[in-house]
Amino acid sequence: MSETATPAKTEQKRAINRLKSMYPLRNLVQQDYVDTLQASKEGKPTVWSMLNYWEGDLPLKAMDLNIVYPENYATLLAASGAAEPFLDASDSDGFPNHMCGYGRATIGYSYRMMKENGGKIPIDAPLGGMAKPALLLGSGIICDARFKWFQALARYFDAPEWCLEMPMMATFEGTEPDLEEYQVKFLTREIKDFIEFLEKLLKKKMDWARLEELIVLATQIHETNYQINEARKAIPGPMHSTDFWSSMPPSLFFAGDMKVSLKLYQDMLAEVQERVKNKESGINYPERYRIIFAELPPWHSLKFFDKLAEKGWNFVFESFGYHNTRPIDLSKVSDPCEKLARFARNFWFNIFPEAKKDNISNPVVETYLKIARGYKADGFFLHPLISCRAASCSLRTIQHFEQDKLDIPSLWVEGDIIDKRVFNPQEVLAKAEAFEQTMDHYRKVRKSKGLDW
Amino acid sequence: MVIATTKGLSRAHEIYTDRGLRVRELRKAGKKIVGYVCLYPPVEIISALGLVPFRVFGDMSEPITAADQVSITVVCPFLRSIIDLGLKGKFDFLDGIVGAHTCDIGMTLIISWRDYVKDAPFTHLIDVPHTDHAPAVDYFEGQINSFKRHIEEFAGEKLTDDKLKKACEIHNKQRKLVRELYDLRKSDPPLLTSTENLEVLMAISSLPVDEGNELLEDVIKEIKNRELKPPKKKARLLVWGPVVDNTSLYQLIENADANVVIDDTCVGTRAFWADVKAPYNLHALAQRYLVDIKCPRTYRDSCHQELERNYDKDLDSRFNYIKKAITDWKVNGAILQSVKYCDTHGYEVPNLRHYLDTLGIPSIYIEHDYSERSLAPIKTRVEAFVETLDLR
Amino acid sequence: MPGMDNLTSHLYFAGIDIGSTMSKAAVVDAESRMLAYVVGPTGAEHRLYANKLMEDILRKAGLTLSDIAYIISTGYGRVNVPFADKQITELTCHAKGVAALFPEVKTAIDIGGQDAKVLKIKNGRLVDFLTNDKCAAGTGRFLEVTAETLGLELDEMGRISLQTDSPVKINSLCTIFAQQEIISRLSEGELLPDILAGVYIAIATRVVKLARQLKVEMPVVFTGGVAKNAGMVKAMEAVLGVPVLVPQEPLITGCLGAAILARDEAFKLVQRGEYEGHRDKKLTEARIDFGEKSR
Repeated sequence: MSETATPAKTEQKRAINRLKSMYPLRNLVQQDYVDTLQASKEGKPTVWSMLNYWEGDLPLKAMDLNIVYPENYATLLAASGAAEPFLDASDSDGFPNHMCGYGRATIGYSYRMMKENGGKIPIDAPLGGMAKPALLLGSGIICDARFKWFQALARYFDAPEWCLEMPMMATFEGTEPDLEEYQVKFLTREIKDFIEFLEKLLKKKMDWARLEELIVLATQIHETNYQINEARKAIPGPMHSTDFWSSMPPSLFFAGDMKVSLKLYQDMLAEVQERVKNKESGINYPERYRIIFAELPPWHSLKFFDKLAEKGWNFVFESFGYHNTRPIDLSKVSDPCEKLARFARNFWFNIFPEAKKDNISNPVVETYLKIARGYKADGFFLHPLISCRAASCSLRTIQHFEQDKLDIPSLWVEGDIIDKRVFNPQEVLAKAEAFEQTMDHYRKVRKSKGLDW
Repeated sequence: MVIATTKGLSRAHEIYTDRGLRVRELRKAGKKIVGYVCLYPPVEIISALGLVPFRVFGDMSEPITAADQVSITVVCPFLRSIIDLGLKGKFDFLDGIVGAHTCDIGMTLIISWRDYVKDAPFTHLIDVPHTDHAPAVDYFEGQINSFKRHIEEFAGEKLTDDKLKKACEIHNKQRKLVRELYDLRKSDPPLLTSTENLEVLMAISSLPVDEGNELLEDVIKEIKNRELKPPKKKARLLVWGPVVDNTSLYQLIENADANVVIDDTCVGTRAFWADVKAPYNLHALAQRYLVDIKCPRTYRDSCHQELERNYDKDLDSRFNYIKKAITDWKVNGAILQSVKYCDTHGYEVPNLRHYLDTLGIPSIYIEHDYSERSLAPIKTRVEAFVETLDLR
Repeated sequence: MPGMDNLTSHLYFAGIDIGSTMSKAAVVDAESRMLAYVVGPTGAEHRLYANKLMEDILRKAGLTLSDIAYIISTGYGRVNVPFADKQITELTCHAKGVAALFPEVKTAIDIGGQDAKVLKIKNGRLVDFLTNDKCAAGTGRFLEVTAETLGLELDEMGRISLQTDSPVKINSLCTIFAQQEIISRLSEGELLPDILAGVYIAIATRVVKLARQLKVEMPVVFTGGVAKNAGMVKAMEAVLGVPVLVPQEPLITGCLGAAILARDEAFKLVQRGEYEGHRDKKLTEARIDFGEKSR
């Protein structure tokens, strides 16, 4: 996964114009793995957490816990081609093989660690692996797999477990007048209960001042990222999707020291804004097509985007689920638990009023319509994954609405989040030629309908 | 069409074979039919407002030809079948459809219905929290209240406490009757087959609640009085898993020298075991539906807030209702069946099998894709499983 | 077991295994000793073939149908043996047959023409199993298709593969795509023995993956038509990491097990006073006399 160019490589033109500010952010995540492993060796309790849209992670950080994200670790397994033995292990313990690749990888990892290795980290685990958890923090947000698989881990670990909640709904029900208040009440109570539980478990009180500090930092990190996203609307697109994917963990998972990551994101914002000023593109070839990628990237085959960049395909935006929304003003909220509740809820519900106005019943579809307009997309690269239903199930509807409402065509390319054998890059490149003609056609159609791209 | 003359098991069979039979008549007579998917929409509210609740199922014998236009293929085939049928207009007798966020695709189904199946003027999606924690029950009550408001508008009348109480009582009565029906399989041999049982349950989910109760009373009397009894067989099995809405699977099992004497499925005990408790208000509904229904989609957490976790204790707390069923119905083997791509059930399998192991109950896991032809290879496995049961 | 004396020495029991590609039959005596077996291709007409198979085995054993006290059919086409007294799945029959040949067996792996099975055996009885009937890549079919692609005989393939100790890793998941992979690798200069060895490893890997779900315990017995192939056996041992036992005739464990189960079933019925003679009464005039002492 190392991107440091060897002397031979620098002679060859690199297709993607990578942001300098991406590298330290990526390194921060890798360093975080190493640090948490070290800390766990020194006796600090490790928490295995799922992406919970900041509801749970900020309290964990405030209590100074060591946090590891198996979901994110699985992407490392995928990217380094090391996933197979873990997937096989999950199968051999009787779990169905159509389940989430990340889930299978984590279950396989846990099985190998606890049942085959007597509690020691498997020797082929990249980056030193994940330390044994003292607490499992599952989450029902986004999909069922993410809390069921954690529940299944009870098979290997006697660690206590908690499952965090987030309401998920359609536009109509999600814009009921009284909904926000009783949802916030629900989430606030859950977070409060969760913190009480942490206090009992760790035998220490929550440092509320620290939590407030982290909420402020989180808000700043998200505001900075929001500005980066706005800047990315420029033509040509100044930041390629691969840079985003490499640098998003500290904003999505708040990995590492948040003061450090805030500074690094501010550096990134400056670099992106500089590029916008100089009309510098995120690819080293003329931008012919502006592409939106949905939803989860093929971690095992990111080099593939270089080939498309050579054709002038600039992936200008991507994966809405990995981004954050513009933070809301929490200054009038005094209860930190309520602050967290509103902060987390905002990510999912901020789009609902617009969805209602546009009469779109699936909020994810509205999100992508907004993205398509904002980034003046020529085409969508839709990547359904055979083992991830949650990230794939809305893609057909996105395809239809992008076509119907904005005359933007989509390329449908199947793959899997962890099994690279399912993804066929040659087939995609073959389809790409034809798709360019489709995109050219619809550009004309849009212009004829008065749209400006 | 002379249908009122059939009674009991024949009537059940008739409706099982043509599920829209009665509701189409009722619709002509001016009633509004509200379809619901899964166990989480509170049918009491639907009945209380004078509407007819109709449980929506797929069709294992119908090849999926339309669903792929709106859905990816790697999703629950049962739900995919439902959207397929919807797109083909097979549910055009529904005036509305209610679903719940029971699982990822269950939620997507209703959204797709709204976007693509234009027939039903009334659609509603109830959010169901994933856990059964106390704040979650209160939130769910809020969701039920939102649903109530919306369907009141559709029904053109308000839900009063009295109407709700009566509806809860009559639905509770139905559940009690179903439990009586299940008691008839405690004997060896059981007095009815699982195929007959399923047809009755499918039939009552396609009838207004009072008619369903009448049918149940007839069936129970008929079975108690009939002379010809099903044969005694080697195995007494429990079938676990998501929706079994077609007799072909039970028939396959019963042809393999086994009797299915009880189940843990949603066209079965999950739907009928728990009653709504007094004072029959929205909170009582929230409690019954979220906490008392035992379905893997809900993260039932025995060790909630406990600082130490014990695997066996957790399993027992989650599954001991199965232990009771095994004891009371004298079960000696379990078939865990699920559909491909079902995450909520898939993750349960190794842990549940371990639990059954500790109870000394042999089990087998079979996965199918909700089509009749996918059952053929399962036949041999089920037969071999029954052959391995160390009996006689 | 009552009846194990010269009063029952004239009693025989038959097992018929109608598989998807091959059909087999065996006859055992009252002490479960095998007298004879036959093997032949199934063809399209199961019903007719079952009769012919029965004729062949009777001729080979020097018996007539009236000598056979009980017949069990098994295999894919077991419902198409009209004169069988009972049908039992091939899973149970294989386990029984393997245990008869190797009494200590704990795990049996069978790779057939179109499926693969893993059987867990305890004290000579089947206790658990897993099957792969969805995907050709872990079955004999993969070998057949590959043989066709390369213009080789199956035996030849096995022999050639033994020439190497460095099998290539076949990446394709699917039997059909694997053929393309094999051809392109040959054209890239990879050696035929290495590729063939890789094919056997690929099959073994799929099947062993299935086996590991049941936790492989020794001794392991390997059966099925494919088990006759030395290249396949080598691959199985390499992937499993333990030696495997292969019966002399790996195709007949199913029908042998069926015949032994026929014997057991007949004696059980006799003990319960329920034995009514061979089902096909047209062919047996009177009840087979198990003798008074056997009760």
